[in-house]
Amino acid sequence: MIITETMTVRDKLNILSDAAKYDVACTSSGTARSGDGTGMGNCELSGICHSFSADGRCISLLKILFTNECVFDCKYCINRASNDVPRAAFTPDEVCTLVMEFYRRNYIEGLFLSSGVMKSPAYTMELIYATLHKLRKECNFQGYIHVKAIPGAAQDLIAKVGFLADRMSVNLELPTAEGLKLLAPHKTRKSILTPMRLVQNKALENKQEIMLYRNAPRFVPAGQSTQMIIGATPESDFQIINVAESLYKKFDLKRVFYSAFIHVNEDKNLPAVREEGPPLLREHRLYQADWLLRYYEFEAGELLSEEYPNFNVLLDPKCNWALKHLEYFPVEVNRADYHTLLRVPGIGYKSAGRIVKARRLGTLAFADLKKMGVVLKRALYFLTCSGKMMYPTRIEEDYITKNLLSVKERLPDGISGMSYKQLSLFDDVNFRKEQFIVHEGVKRAPIERMLG
Amino acid sequence: MKKVYICSDNITGIFSAIYDAWKEGREEDNAGISLRDNLEQELFCEYVESEESEKKAAAVVQMIKNNMGAAVYMDIYQAVLAHDKDKGNAILRTLLAARKLPDSTKIMNHLSHSGVEKVFELSRRVGGEAHQFKGFLRFKELENGILFAEIEPKSQVLSCIAGHFSDRLPLENFMIYDRTHKMFVVHEAGHQWVLVLDDVTDTAKLNRVSEAQREYERLWKGFCKSISIKERENLILQRQNLPLRYRQDVVEFQQ
Repeated sequence: MIITETMTVRDKLNILSDAAKYDVACTSSGTARSGDGTGMGNCELSGICHSFSADGRCISLLKILFTNECVFDCKYCINRASNDVPRAAFTPDEVCTLVMEFYRRNYIEGLFLSSGVMKSPAYTMELIYATLHKLRKECNFQGYIHVKAIPGAAQDLIAKVGFLADRMSVNLELPTAEGLKLLAPHKTRKSILTPMRLVQNKALENKQEIMLYRNAPRFVPAGQSTQMIIGATPESDFQIINVAESLYKKFDLKRVFYSAFIHVNEDKNLPAVREEGPPLLREHRLYQADWLLRYYEFEAGELLSEEYPNFNVLLDPKCNWALKHLEYFPVEVNRADYHTLLRVPGIGYKSAGRIVKARRLGTLAFADLKKMGVVLKRALYFLTCSGKMMYPTRIEEDYITKNLLSVKERLPDGISGMSYKQLSLFDDVNFRKEQFIVHEGVKRAPIERMLG
Repeated sequence: MKKVYICSDNITGIFSAIYDAWKEGREEDNAGISLRDNLEQELFCEYVESEESEKKAAAVVQMIKNNMGAAVYMDIYQAVLAHDKDKGNAILRTLLAARKLPDSTKIMNHLSHSGVEKVFELSRRVGGEAHQFKGFLRFKELENGILFAEIEPKSQVLSCIAGHFSDRLPLENFMIYDRTHKMFVVHEAGHQWVLVLDDVTDTAKLNRVSEAQREYERLWKGFCKSISIKERENLILQRQNLPLRYRQDVVEFQQ
């Protein structure tokens, strides 16, 4: 432990941004707000990426911890109480100056403030509130703020913070309560879901207030999000997307983030170190499925099942679904409704929208589809234009699979290393055996019970 | 015979040429617009220099806004700013096609028309580039407290981003310089922004940054380094998301 009294802002920023880097969300989307001309800042609905770090992730917000001192001892976390790492804490003033000066130079879109638990959840939340209050009221900052609600803090405090922030999030940490008990002994599913429910209810209440009084203050206008660690506990993809689906449906979350587990601590309860690094392909597949849930009207149960609990490494979830449901295809571009078009591999929700609008003004041919952004090398097996397929192809699972694999999916660079790895029947999950046995009973029911 | 109107590469020029073609009742197959610096002569064409005026341009703008709506105008406006030598033709053909639709406001949906499709693509490209610069542009604080930024865009995006920054920094004096097109956006605290067509005259002044600026640059560079996760390092993905051409004026990528 290093004594923090003499630290400069630069040292603190080093320590506290390094400690915050495992938080996934760095989005600044979801709020549109013009500046009122008296302060600094506004918000774009789409969000703005200001830079990209060497790991290819977007830097949009000044992502820092208020402090990395922590009384909790979560096994996977670099800042856990039992780790001997340099500790530091900002003061509210320091955070405000950094945000204002960075923002003014267009380095950042706003602040992402998280924190370790210093002394107690209530004490930490109080400090976070003080910081945001100063930033909003004294510095007159009108940019984006994403803040973490600390599980266990008082309800009214969380509510007060929500009126200053654009987005709030409580980390679910691990997909199941069993995993949480094993790896985060100081947190329970209940202590995490309570603030989440609170934020949801408050936001609902606020929506009605705004309907009545247009200028009522807004409570987390960009909604709430959460994140789970993938690969630290042996849940299947099926369980994970079921949890995500319940969160979207029952807690009105805007986003669920998945973070591939990274080894920072040695602990007997964590999976063994794996040579190939964090399970990035699995994370990628989960995000793809997440998009299907949010934008493509899919349900978790359609993508995976108890019998096939993990995603195909070779095909994306949508192609995979289409190949198992060839009875719906081919689809006629000029007549099929929007919802059917959404399910065609190679057609995104934007191009589906464009197709629906454009065909009112004329018949579409394959060449037109290409211009609208449809990925024909995937879509051509599932579409007809005016009754004709693009090439004479067969509607057979094996035939299409073979062809789809030969065009090679464009994975984000760096996680395409799969082609050199020996394929295993058990997909991308290789846990130690005993962990499988311990958790065999974990099925869908307990997840629903927990979230219900 | 086909008549091609020659104009300069800016809003006034292109809209004036459209005005002339429209006025003479030309159709898609017998009218064209060419940019003065990018003239590729065709056979069996008559070439005329279009007489450019603010008044003509304003009339076209009003016509588009009245008949096709503000959203379509936005697309056409952005297409005019694009770096493309064929944009004049595409815009003219889009406007002529819109005339034939029962509801002209729906013209941008008509993507199977090659002119519309081109305008759509150009507009998206310019909008995309402008959006990138909203993020990747970096201000530096000069000794006199003015914020100054330089960019080198392909399209003339300045007028697309000026409003964004004025709304964001209403109490700041700032300038953004577009090296490609030699243009400035100048915003004085509490005033409207203005576009100035001029080259940089005094580079020395623009290089004298304040003491605080150096310190915040150091802090920011440190932040960008420590926020990256080593186990996930992926420089190719980084380059995909932030292409090299944007990096030349981005402080965290300078040595």
